[in-house]
Parts: sequence; C-alpha cells; structure tokens
Amino acid sequence: MTQDFYRPGTSLIHRWNPVTTLSLSLTLVVTAFASQALWLPAALLVFVVFPAALVSGVFRRLLAWLARFLLPVILLLFVIQGLYHQDGPLLDLGPVGVHLDGVLFATRTALRLLVLTGAFLLLLFTTHPGELMTALVAHGMPPKISYLVSATMQIVPAFRQRAHSILDAQRARGLRTAAGPIGRVRALVPLVGPLVLGALSEVDERAVAMEARAFGATTRRTSYTVIADSAAQRVSRWSMLVITIAVIVLSATGVIR
Amino acid sequence: MRPAAKIAAGTVVVLATYVYLVLERPGASGTGALVALAGYLLGSVLIGLGAVDRLSTSSVTLIPVAMAINIVVGQLALATGIPLYLDSIGIVIAGVLAGPAAGAATGVLTCVIWGLTANPTIMPFAVTAAEIGVAAGLIGMLGGFRKPWWAALAGLLTGVVSALVSAPISAFVYGGVTTSAGTTAITGAFQAYGASLFAATTLQGLLSDPLDKTVTFTVAFVILLALPARFRQRFAFARRYRVFATGVGSEGR
Amino acid sequence: MIRLESLSYRYAETPTTVLRQISLTIPKGQLVGVVGPSGAGKTTLAQVMSGFIPHVFGGEVTGAVTVAGRSVRNTPLPLLVSDIGLVSQNPFNQLSGAKFSVAEELAFGLENLGVPRGEMVSRVDETLRRLRIAHLAERSPYQLSGGQQQLVAIGSMMVMRPGVLVLDEPTSQLDPAGSGLVFDALGELRERGVTVVLIEHKLEQLAEVADRILALVDGELRMDGPPSTVLAADELADWGIGRTRFTAAAVAAATHWPCGRPLPVTLAEAAAGFAEGAP
Ligand SMILES: Nc1ncnc2c1ncn2[C@@H]1O[C@H](COP(=O)(O)OP(=O)(O)OP(=O)(O)O)[C@@H](O)[C@H]1O
Ligand SMILES: [Mg+2]
Repeated sequence: MTQDFYRPGTSLIHRWNPVTTLSLSLTLVVTAFASQALWLPAALLVFVVFPAALVSGVFRRLLAWLARFLLPVILLLFVIQGLYHQDGPLLDLGPVGVHLDGVLFATRTALRLLVLTGAFLLLLFTTHPGELMTALVAHGMPPKISYLVSATMQIVPAFRQRAHSILDAQRARGLRTAAGPIGRVRALVPLVGPLVLGALSEVDERAVAMEARAFGATTRRTSYTVIADSAAQRVSRWSMLVITIAVIVLSATGVIR
Repeated sequence: MRPAAKIAAGTVVVLATYVYLVLERPGASGTGALVALAGYLLGSVLIGLGAVDRLSTSSVTLIPVAMAINIVVGQLALATGIPLYLDSIGIVIAGVLAGPAAGAATGVLTCVIWGLTANPTIMPFAVTAAEIGVAAGLIGMLGGFRKPWWAALAGLLTGVVSALVSAPISAFVYGGVTTSAGTTAITGAFQAYGASLFAATTLQGLLSDPLDKTVTFTVAFVILLALPARFRQRFAFARRYRVFATGVGSEGR
Repeated sequence: MIRLESLSYRYAETPTTVLRQISLTIPKGQLVGVVGPSGAGKTTLAQVMSGFIPHVFGGEVTGAVTVAGRSVRNTPLPLLVSDIGLVSQNPFNQLSGAKFSVAEELAFGLENLGVPRGEMVSRVDETLRRLRIAHLAERSPYQLSGGQQQLVAIGSMMVMRPGVLVLDEPTSQLDPAGSGLVFDALGELRERGVTVVLIEHKLEQLAEVADRILALVDGELRMDGPPSTVLAADELADWGIGRTRFTAAAVAAATHWPCGRPLPVTLAEAAAGFAEGAP
C-alpha cells in the first residue's frame, strides 16, 4: 500500500535541493545500464548508493526495502535465467542444467535493478514529494504537473478510507466476501461502482474551486516556498547532465561495452 | 515546442526505440537495456509534458480523481486476490471523457505516483500506461464506447499493443522476471522452447494483457454508462466527438 | 456591485428551470444573507453570482448578470475570479491538493495571481491570525477536521482580497466559536467595503450581521428585505427555512409578546420586547 517513504532529516542529502538528488538518481540509473561490465553497477552500489544512504541515515531502511522489492525478483531471475539460457550448460543435472551465460545475465540484471531501485529509494527517503514538485516547477516543469501529482497523492488516502467504509457497510448488510475468482470480481462491483461514481461527481466542484483560486490565470506565477540551492549544486547538476548524455552516447555508439 | 509537437516527438522516440530493439536485436546484456530505458523514459516525459499542456482546467481536475481511482481500485483488486490488475480503469475513463491527451497524462503520472508512493520499480512502464490512455481516447473518438462489445474488443486490441510495448522493458530491464512467479515461469517456459528473451516476454504479455484490458475496458464502460448524462456531456471532448450513444444512461441525480 | 436582471437558469441536459426570473441589486459593501430550503437553488445562485455559471457549468442562462461592472457572460473567467471569490459547500473539494501545508495552501491563489513573495507572506500570516489557525500553518490540510478545513477554505479566498465574496454554507461544520469567528471576520470585510453574499442556515447569527436577507424558495426570490422583517415572517416556517429561537419564543409567548410589536430576530430585540411585555 502507499508508503510514506520520506522521513524528515537534517543530513547533507536531506538539505540538498531535490533536483540535485533527482539528477544523482537518474545519472546512477543510466550509468548502471550503460555497460555490460559487472563491476560498474556493483561499484555504483557500493561506492555511491550505500555511502549516500549511510550519510543520510537511511541505510537500514534502504536494505529492508530493497529486499522487499527485489529479493523475490532476483531469486526468480537466477532460477529462470540460470536454468533456461540457451548455450551449453555449466553444470549438467539431468533434465536441467546451470548455464554460465544465464548466471552472468542474472547477476548483471540483478545488480542493475539494485542500482535502479536503490537510487530511487534514496531520493524518496530523503525528499519530501511536495518539495520535489516545488523545486521542479522552479526549474521549469509546468505547475499543472505538480498539481496533478500532489493532488493525487493527497486524495488517495481519503478515497481509500471511503472504500473501506463502503466495504464495511456492505459487510454489515450481510454481503459475503465471496470465494472463487468470478465471485470476487462480482463482489468488487458494488464496491467500485459507488466509489468511482462518488469520486467523479466531485470533479465539477473541484474544478470550480481551482478556477476560483485563479488556476487558469495566465499571469506569471510566483512561489511562496523558497527551496534552497547553491552554486556548487548547480555545477554538480550540470556535470551530472553532461555525464549522463556522454554515457548514453558512448554506449549507443559502442565505445563503452 | 508546441504541445502537439512534443506528443509527436515523444511518440516517435518510443516507436524508434521499439523498432531499433526489434530490428537490431542488441540483446539484453548490451545496449538493449539502456536504449529501452532511456528511449522510453524520454518518450514518456515528452508525451507527458505535451499532453499536460493541452489540458483545460476541468480535464486537469478530472485527472487526479482518475488516478486515485486507478490506485484504489488496483489495490482493492490486489487485496481480493483476483488474477487481474484492474489498475488502469481511471486511465480509460479519463481518456474517454477528456481525450487522448488526458488519457496519456493520466497514464504517465499514475506510474510516477506509484513510483513515488508505493513501488519505484514500476516507473519504467510509464509508456505502456500512456498508450492505454491514448488508445482509450482514440477509441472513444471512433465511437467505440457506444456499445459494450465494441468497448470490450477495443480493450482486447489495446491489450495486444500494451503487451508489445511493455515487452522490451520486461525483457531488457527486468530480465523477463516479475514479482509474480506464474508469469515469470511462463516467460521461462517460452525461453526453454527456444524463444529469445524479448520474444518470450512478448508472448507472455500477449497471454495476460489482452484479458486484463478487456475486463478493464468493460468495467470502465459500465461505470461511464452509470454516470449521469450531464456529467458525461460536461467534457468538450466527449461532446465534440459524440463519444456516447445519446439516450443511454441515467438522467438527473 | 452585483446586479441580476430577470435571471433564469437551467442546467445542461435537465428539463427544470432551477432559478426563475430573479432580479436584484446588491450595492458595494453590503452583507447579504441568503436563506432557503434544501434544493431551493442557493448553490446555483452562488455560482451564477461568481461567474462559474455559465463559464464552467454551461446550461441555459437568460437575463443579465453584472458583477463589479462587468457582464459575467462576456468576461473571461480568469478576469472575473480576480475580483470575485467563491467559498463552496464542501471544504474537502475546496482544498487544491497542490500543497502539503496550510500556509502554502493559503498562498496557492496568490501564487497563481503572481503576487510578489513578500506581500504573499504577510497576507498569509494575517489570514492565519485572523482565523486563529496559525497553529495549523505547517499541518497538512488533509489531516484537519472538517471545521478546520472549512476555515482554511474561507481563508484561501479571503487572502486573495476579492471585492465580492460569495460563501456557500461556510460554517456548516464549525462549532459555535468557529462560526462566530467567521461571522466576525465577514463583518470586518464589509466594513472594508467588500460585498459579501452569505448562504447560511444559522439564522440567529445571520440576523446579527446581515444588512439584508434574501429568501429563495423553488428557485424564486420570495422575499428580499432587512433581517428584522424577512426572518420574522410567518411564511419562513412553511417554506421549511425555520425561524430563530427568539422569534419562536415570542410566538410561543403569545399574549405576553407586546401587541403590535414586530417579532424579534435577535437577542436584543427579544429582550427589549419581553421587558416591555413584562408586568
Ligand atoms: N450540476 C447540476 N446539474 C443539474 N441539476 C442540478 C445540478 N446541481 C444542482 N441541480 C439541481 O438544481 C436544484 C437546486 O440545487 P442547489 O444545489 O442550487 O440547491 P441548494 O439550495 O444549494 O440546496 P442545498 O441546501 O441542499 O445545498 C436542485 O433540484 C438540484 O437537483
Ligand atoms: Mg447548496
């Protein structure tokens, strides 16, 4: 279910401009996927992601969530790719065999997924989503996108609560929680119907409220919240952008393998 | 860039990525993963930016509600343990009521929000969600939401496209593995019969996506039918293309 | 400041006319209460006065609406809303969702208008203090009680300083202290020349602050006059609007209420009347 990944903190990374952290995450992900070498994603994990998590005090949570998201995936990856890969087996076990290629492939994919997920968890653990949106708007993202993301995040809990109260009401009226897939789909209908219709019927009122707050105005917007930034961070963001583009180009042209 | 140009550029980037992956067969170990990830990421950002630019305030306020529906209904489906995702009903509703751009924006941002709040590993699939929203809008434009069986058929076709679009991500980024042991085993089985990883994830997708999207489109059709006519007609897109059969559905409140 | 000339309105896709032939003029700086039973068309009237009908809702409008010297029909909505505020019925839907703290939520409209940051900060602070919600400034608007959300919704309009402020049952979820606060704040706005239209069921408090009361029944403007006449009228009970406790007490007192004296609608009027009637 929905997590509140973010916890307030005072570490260096917590104090970074959210766009800096986002740039770091994206650079890490792109670099991890750029080369076939196993050491590259492993090094990014050990020398960047983990130390950053330690510095910001989220290391244990990072490990816990990585395990939760990726442990089953990685196990399956080794089973499937280790056993099914096409070239000759490394180990012949009768009907199945372990293939070197498959194991290498599984390891590489697992390491890349760890960087992908770890980099984003690092961002989410240290950055308030509202501040991320405000900072992105300050960097030119359309305010509409910020509104869409923030508003959804805030109305989901309310909708979930409504879903639960509809569910309770129906249980109280004696609607059984049915067995079997078809029965369960049927049981969803009286729940989803009122929930969705109720939600959609509020759209008009929300539109009026937004217009009343001049959301449709074409004037140049100002910002109430000021998000700290620094020259050093600006330089580092530009360098990360250059690195990212360079990595993509070098990899696509086959310079990096 | 104009909004339409952004959407077009994004679509071209996504298609070019797909064509490159199909034709060049770079393999999951080499550049395939990076190309799939970067191409789809850039494509969905461009589509999302262009789509949002085009939206009126009333479409803009529809979208958070549509996204909340995706998330809450998707979680309910998960909690009840049925073998369907049903996490794109809101995308279809937004696309049908407010047009392909609204559908695309709903799709991309739903993935972003899932990523921000529940599970960051889902974000690379944003393009698939955008595709569903665009398809729903186009189908509404063509009158596919006037009759239930057309809606169901449209869902089936959309599911086929979804399977094709998401296959490179499943193959090159996730190595053919998902959190579900069932679908992963199917992918593995296809590979054991000699299919490439990309082909295997495509085939696996073709087994599950069309069914899920058929159900999703049918459920969305039923919900839209139950809406008061005045609500459906509130959206300029739905009025202009006469998305709904007239005289159907409940009147008043 | 607000002028309706034989205004009628029908929502799109519906057969019934919800507002019929309404004509009225509200001068600048007047605080007008609107009373009426459920379904009378009060919310619809509020949306007409603030321009959301026809700009957002469509439907069929006949007659003319002029607000702040502008024809509502011919003025684009962004221009209209820069001078007209609407606080709508349900505070949950009134929250923008764009912001994660009450202070930022209050500032949202000002950001959209492009108000410079310094002024924004001082206006937000003033509003927080005026509505006594300064202690909530850093809280998430979604984690507040209904009444607190209602105060935030009112504040988010007040902070924009519109010349006309229309409020649709703004105190429905507030306790007496909270409602008192809102009524006082609205009274102050009137003193500053703001035109206030207040749809309200709390007749006693309305009687204290309003300059004028409109009674809306079945989409028709049935009565229009000072609180002491409109709220004391016999018909109000028949229309399902009810009456103040003071009026009810005087009616119940029957012969003890001085003969010929108008029925009271405020505590002061009731006290004076009963004092006179006492032996
Ligand atoms: N969007 C709409 N489309 C069609 N009819 C509507 C719409 N909104 C309200 N109505 C109808 O218009 C009439 C007046 O409604 P309105 O909401 O203005 O009444 P109200 O006096 O505000 O009632 P309440 O005290 O319950 O808020 C009602 O019969 C209602 O059913
Ligand atoms: Mg009302």
